[in-house]
Amino acid sequence: MLNKVIIESVLTAALSTGGDFAEIFVEDKINTSISMIGGKVQNTMSGRDFGIGVRIFKGFNSVYAYTNKSDKDSLISTALKAAAALQGPDNNITINLLQTDVKNIHNIVIDPSKVKKTKKVQLMRRVNDIASNYDDVITQVSVSYNDNNQNILIANSEGLLKEDRRQRSRMFIQAVASKDGEMQSGYYGPGAMKGYEFFENLDIDWYAREAARIAKTMVYAKHCPSGRMPVIIDNGFGGVIFHEACGHGLEATSVAKGLSVYCDKVGKKIASDLVTAIDDGTIPNEWGSINIDDEGTPSQKNVLIENGILKGYMVDKLNGRRMNMQSTGSGRRQSYQFAPTSRMTNTYIANGKSSPEEIISSTEKGLYAKYMGGGSVNTATGEFNFAVMEGYLVEKGKIKEPVRGATLIGTGLEVLQKIDMVGNNLTFGQGMCGSSSGSIPTNVGQPMIRVSEITVGGRKGEE
Amino acid sequence: MNKSDLIQKIFESGKNAGMTDMEAHISSGRNLSLKVFNKEIDKYSVSESEGLSFRGLYKGKMGYSYTEKVDETSIDIIIKEAVENAEIIDSDDEEYIFEGSNKYEEVNNYYPALEKVNETQKIEFTKKLEEEALKLDSRVAAVQECAYGDGYGETIMKNTKGLELQDKNNVAFAYIYVLVREGEDSKSGFSYKVTNDFESFNAAEMAEEAVNEALSLLGAKSIKSGEYKVILRNNTAADLLESFAGIFSAEKVQKDLSLLKGKINEEIACNKLTIIDDPFMKEGMASNSFDGEGVACKYKRIIDKGILKTYLHNLKTAKKDGVESTGNASKSSYKASVGVFPTNMYIEKGDKTLDEMISTIDKGILIVDLQGLHAGLNSVSGDFSLAASGYEIENGKIKRPINQITVAGNFFEVIKNIEEIGNDLKFGLPSNAYIGSPSLKIKSLSIAGE
Repeated sequence: MLNKVIIESVLTAALSTGGDFAEIFVEDKINTSISMIGGKVQNTMSGRDFGIGVRIFKGFNSVYAYTNKSDKDSLISTALKAAAALQGPDNNITINLLQTDVKNIHNIVIDPSKVKKTKKVQLMRRVNDIASNYDDVITQVSVSYNDNNQNILIANSEGLLKEDRRQRSRMFIQAVASKDGEMQSGYYGPGAMKGYEFFENLDIDWYAREAARIAKTMVYAKHCPSGRMPVIIDNGFGGVIFHEACGHGLEATSVAKGLSVYCDKVGKKIASDLVTAIDDGTIPNEWGSINIDDEGTPSQKNVLIENGILKGYMVDKLNGRRMNMQSTGSGRRQSYQFAPTSRMTNTYIANGKSSPEEIISSTEKGLYAKYMGGGSVNTATGEFNFAVMEGYLVEKGKIKEPVRGATLIGTGLEVLQKIDMVGNNLTFGQGMCGSSSGSIPTNVGQPMIRVSEITVGGRKGEE
Repeated sequence: MNKSDLIQKIFESGKNAGMTDMEAHISSGRNLSLKVFNKEIDKYSVSESEGLSFRGLYKGKMGYSYTEKVDETSIDIIIKEAVENAEIIDSDDEEYIFEGSNKYEEVNNYYPALEKVNETQKIEFTKKLEEEALKLDSRVAAVQECAYGDGYGETIMKNTKGLELQDKNNVAFAYIYVLVREGEDSKSGFSYKVTNDFESFNAAEMAEEAVNEALSLLGAKSIKSGEYKVILRNNTAADLLESFAGIFSAEKVQKDLSLLKGKINEEIACNKLTIIDDPFMKEGMASNSFDGEGVACKYKRIIDKGILKTYLHNLKTAKKDGVESTGNASKSSYKASVGVFPTNMYIEKGDKTLDEMISTIDKGILIVDLQGLHAGLNSVSGDFSLAASGYEIENGKIKRPINQITVAGNFFEVIKNIEEIGNDLKFGLPSNAYIGSPSLKIKSLSIAGE
């Protein structure tokens, strides 16, 4: 993507003001998106993202610069612009780049750029038809299709030179149900680090029906009661609770600055014995997977919590320096426009022993959250919130009527201790996670879990 | 090759490929972003970037494409992609390229003085902002984020109907997140400023606002669940309005995704409520003389004393409704297709101060922070249930801080249930639009807590 001689001179220029480490990140990415509303293709956009980022460390200081221009002069001038923010004598670091092959663990079968757009549209139309015909109450369906192919090159002053390719595919389905002047929606967004084979092997009809079913269920649902109660959170995207309540707080980004409630807690018990949590970017073809992170470090399986004991954090190079720890392959970024920092990949609570039936039947009264929406957290106070997309009341061990508009709030340390049942049906859900290095694809995951008590916010008063 | 010539060359290629009307935007800019932590520069990022966006009619359908490699090597791929994209469009809505408005208001978004501020001054200011916050109170445990950023951008837009428009702008912003601690209790406070005038950044003032807010929330506890009279402080009212701004988009209305369908000239809100979209507002961060399709921007009342007067239109939605475009075509970046967005949109202020509004409440809640806006609300139904913090009001006075609660309601009901509008209009951080509100007193909202 960029020749070795140019890279070496850019890195040399970057180190000219006393930097002790320099890195270059080249990105060339092709995006395709198609959006369909009401069965008609409304918009299509395709294009090419191309740019180069240069990062320099001097001790714990870090500077970053990026540009879209790839000629030698522009790149050297970009490197010098970043270097100008540091001051010191050149350490005369010799750069000997050695290209090493990246082991590809995510096999791509069908290159989406070789698939005709009309074929992609046919698939979208099928999804639209299934969702719209699900029930008369469904009044609108939006489907969007996205594939992107990101080619990257990473080189640094330690001699690392690696190239990799990431192919991702995703579809969003949103169904809207209307009744008596009210509207409710349901959505599903399956995605993977795969080519077009992802759609061919996926039971896409099921996802279309599911989005419509959620919308229909919610338009007939009553407002959720509020107050503190036990909550059962189902598998898959339900794992967003761990992502928000704990995951962000275990990123070195906040830990290195002493700004996480999980600082200085390695080896200590921070969760119920039933909780084992893992971040693993090496799962073949999963949405949040990578071969190498955006600093060139191979991705790995990181056990974060084992039987309730905090085992470790997710660490990138810069924060690794600050914390005196090795990178865990967690340095990620949205694009060349961002310096990387520690982020999640596929993060999940591991399987426990209870069956979903047992969990529900042993719950006297509470809320069952079948599908979750998104959420957010303040890592310094640990306060999180997230939305329940499809919820039901639970009474005497049985799932009762659906309820809408519930939000769950709490603090991470509290909720982790209160997980009192963990199921055996682990699955993943796909999301985009936004943080200081931009928006990146991540998986959340878990089996069904139960939290003994959590604040549920809804529009109906206390029961 | 200069930008105008490059665009001309793209048009020639497009014509050869069978395209009729075409349009291109080239945006380029410079950005600086820096953060300070513990007196050190924690983040320092500079950039120079550009992007080209193209659209053109092929067999009557509009095809889009973009590239960040803005040179002749990209021409073939841009045209090929746009043609392919046009071929699969089957929407019956007619999109077209605009020949230009008769008159454009002059809007100045470029402030030469801002370009003269040097890096040292910017770094000094950011360090001072952190320092001021740290020295204000011994309970300030850390400044979670202390950031400054600025940017310069220019856009050239050109089409085959002979329209050529240019714009340049610059802006600077700063924000601070403060963490205060007392025993095991931690609370955050936030403040920000967006401006074209570097001299107007006041580190002491910003630090004080964030620190005071965080300190005042120490010791916060939840409150008993129930229906309460609520004041949404200006920043939270603006957050809510921004989250539901899509309901005014004609695009959403036409696609059956807005409950305001068929409500033009109907009373949809309390008669105290007026919502204005003013693209010419002084110091408006979304001020513009033309929109994303080159249509002259217009001042408009969206809601006038409770009556819905207009939706926001671009050329496509206006044509479909048989009205004139309101000049609200959005082109949020060169990667985006044309949509609909407000410009500087705000709720017209009333005459009561926040204190006066508080003094009218026997028992209620003042909300000062809302979280989870991207997840805890349904922009179609208007339902929201959001994590919040604020203060309990008793006998017309603030009694104590509250957190770990949610506030839930429905936006369409909220705008009907406004009892009082404050005089403290405040705008949020600009994104695709710049949205503001004064504090609003609401008859009743559901609070979930203990």
